[in-house]
Amino acid sequence: MSKYELPIRFDHKDIDVLKQFITETGKIIPARVTGISAANQRKITKSIKIARFLALLPYTDMHQ
Amino acid sequence: MKKYEAVIILNPNLSSKVDEFKKDFEKLLSDNSFSIAKTEDVGRRQLAYSINNHNKGHYILFNLEGDPSKLIELETKIKYNESIIRHLFIVVKEHKGEDSSLFTESKNKKSEPVDIEEEKERKADKPKEDQQIKEPKESSPKKVDEDGEE
Repeated sequence: MSKYELPIRFDHKDIDVLKQFITETGKIIPARVTGISAANQRKITKSIKIARFLALLPYTDMHQ
Repeated sequence: MKKYEAVIILNPNLSSKVDEFKKDFEKLLSDNSFSIAKTEDVGRRQLAYSINNHNKGHYILFNLEGDPSKLIELETKIKYNESIIRHLFIVVKEHKGEDSSLFTESKNKKSEPVDIEEEKERKADKPKEDQQIKEPKESSPKKVDEDGEE
């Protein structure tokens, strides 16, 4: 847990936190690799997907 | 009554007319009996991917409170507003009091006086960047394969 900086409430605007949980290619890193709790992983996944819709994070590194 | 967080991305070419847009939009909100708890003008930001051939967008964040039934009317109006590239309304239990990280980040950037020089450099760098991007693209499939094997 101490490996990552987890806030109390996840926010889709908090890109610096979310960036820890995507790969260079933009994929969401699975919980078995990150080792965070299932509840937190669900919250992160949701906020990453919202951030992608708002063009704050990339879906992939192949854009354009 | 529900509490909403709204993110609106404006056409970057209309950045100079943001104040006008804000007034119009606030009128539209008040006409639909939405109350605005807070607005944050993040400003122009690089988009992670291009939307409608725009590489930059002007982000504005709102904290709103209003009726869900009115929101549908509001969204239909937003749909036909061409200056809005993308919009999102999210229901929240409670509004955060503090500034969002996006807003504080943009504030910090504005406080640095290097802005104009940086933009010039970016323009000069652009063709070089394109070349740099193309090169790793070719090698990227290989990387994926390696990851899969591991």
